[in-house]
Amino acid sequence: MGVLENRFQDNVVVASMDKLLGWARSTSPWFFQFGLACCAIEMMATAASRYDLMRIGMIPRSSPRQADVMIVAGTVTMKMSLRVKKLYEQMADPKYVIAMGSCATSGGPYWQHGYHVLKGVDLVVPVDVYIPGCPPRPEALIEGLLKLQEKIQADRPLTKKIA
Amino acid sequence: MSEDQDKFIADVVEKALQGDMDAINNIEDRVTRSKAKAALVKAKREAKAAATEDTSKSEESKTEESAPVVKSLSEKVAACLNEKFPNSLESEDVNGYIQMKDKNWFEIAQYLRYNLDFLFDSLQCVTGYDFGENEDLEVRYNLHSMTHNHAIEIRIKTDRNNPKVPSVEQVWRIGDWFERETYDMYGIEFEGHSNMTRILCPEDWAGWPLRKDYETQESYHGIVVPKVKDGWE
Repeated sequence: MGVLENRFQDNVVVASMDKLLGWARSTSPWFFQFGLACCAIEMMATAASRYDLMRIGMIPRSSPRQADVMIVAGTVTMKMSLRVKKLYEQMADPKYVIAMGSCATSGGPYWQHGYHVLKGVDLVVPVDVYIPGCPPRPEALIEGLLKLQEKIQADRPLTKKIA
Repeated sequence: MSEDQDKFIADVVEKALQGDMDAINNIEDRVTRSKAKAALVKAKREAKAAATEDTSKSEESKTEESAPVVKSLSEKVAACLNEKFPNSLESEDVNGYIQMKDKNWFEIAQYLRYNLDFLFDSLQCVTGYDFGENEDLEVRYNLHSMTHNHAIEIRIKTDRNNPKVPSVEQVWRIGDWFERETYDMYGIEFEGHSNMTRILCPEDWAGWPLRKDYETQESYHGIVVPKVKDGWE
């Protein structure tokens, strides 16, 4: 380690502030717990003891004020779409959205003839990660969450962005 | 050989039918004996079928003349309604359901529910029906009686351009949601309902989704409704 070796006492970590913030945020993205259809069952299974989302730092929260990630799990009807938008607006920044399952990504089986179904939740809120599947298995959801963590980690909140 | 055998078997069967079973039992050859027995069974069956046909024909002619026709429940109800509420039936023909006019439907519903002979205390379903372009709409009620364990279906036609049917919400409380759902999907208004609003679709939704001429609206609160991702196909 050269010049830095043995120069500091214990419990000191040297890192850039950006990376530190990214690390802190990415390792505890609490997700907003609401299920709309059968995908919610898989989400529950993922959060339960067998797949144990807690080990990657994710805890379901029942209020949008306490959540960082919104997992849209299931079919979003036109009636629900306004509520989904409102819930997204109630979350505090920085906020992320995961579209779980084919209904939330594209309308799923209702995408051509379902007059009442929103054809993809990205028409209402900005989506960060899409997880295909009907419904996706817990492994697929975990894969999507890890992708989201990578994305959060790569974010540099303190660096000035050049447009 | 086989012609001879056939003739022989026919002979034996004839004898057996007249009561002489020994004629068959005494045949030496096992194959011929079993063939003869099979032929006997067949002959007996044919004889029996012919006999029942005769009797059923005679029975039919009897019922036409004297025995009273057993009425189905729908026929009983229709006859009773015709007596109590004249001109309430659309047609006298009862074919598993009762076709009614919407006149007096509320009073008739009350009568069907509380009359001791019928006691239809359970409204099981209210459905809408669209017969297509320039045709009428229809409401169908399925009634069931817990006491008597019997059920009927009642159908009421209504005009497509001004669909109105009296509400039976006050007779069967479940009718509240059933009628709201029918209103939501077909636009049939139930007069006298205490809260005639949509139940499934958003309140500001346009059109009646289960009508055959329904066309999906282009946007809802600025959100595109029909599919827009053409490149995906």
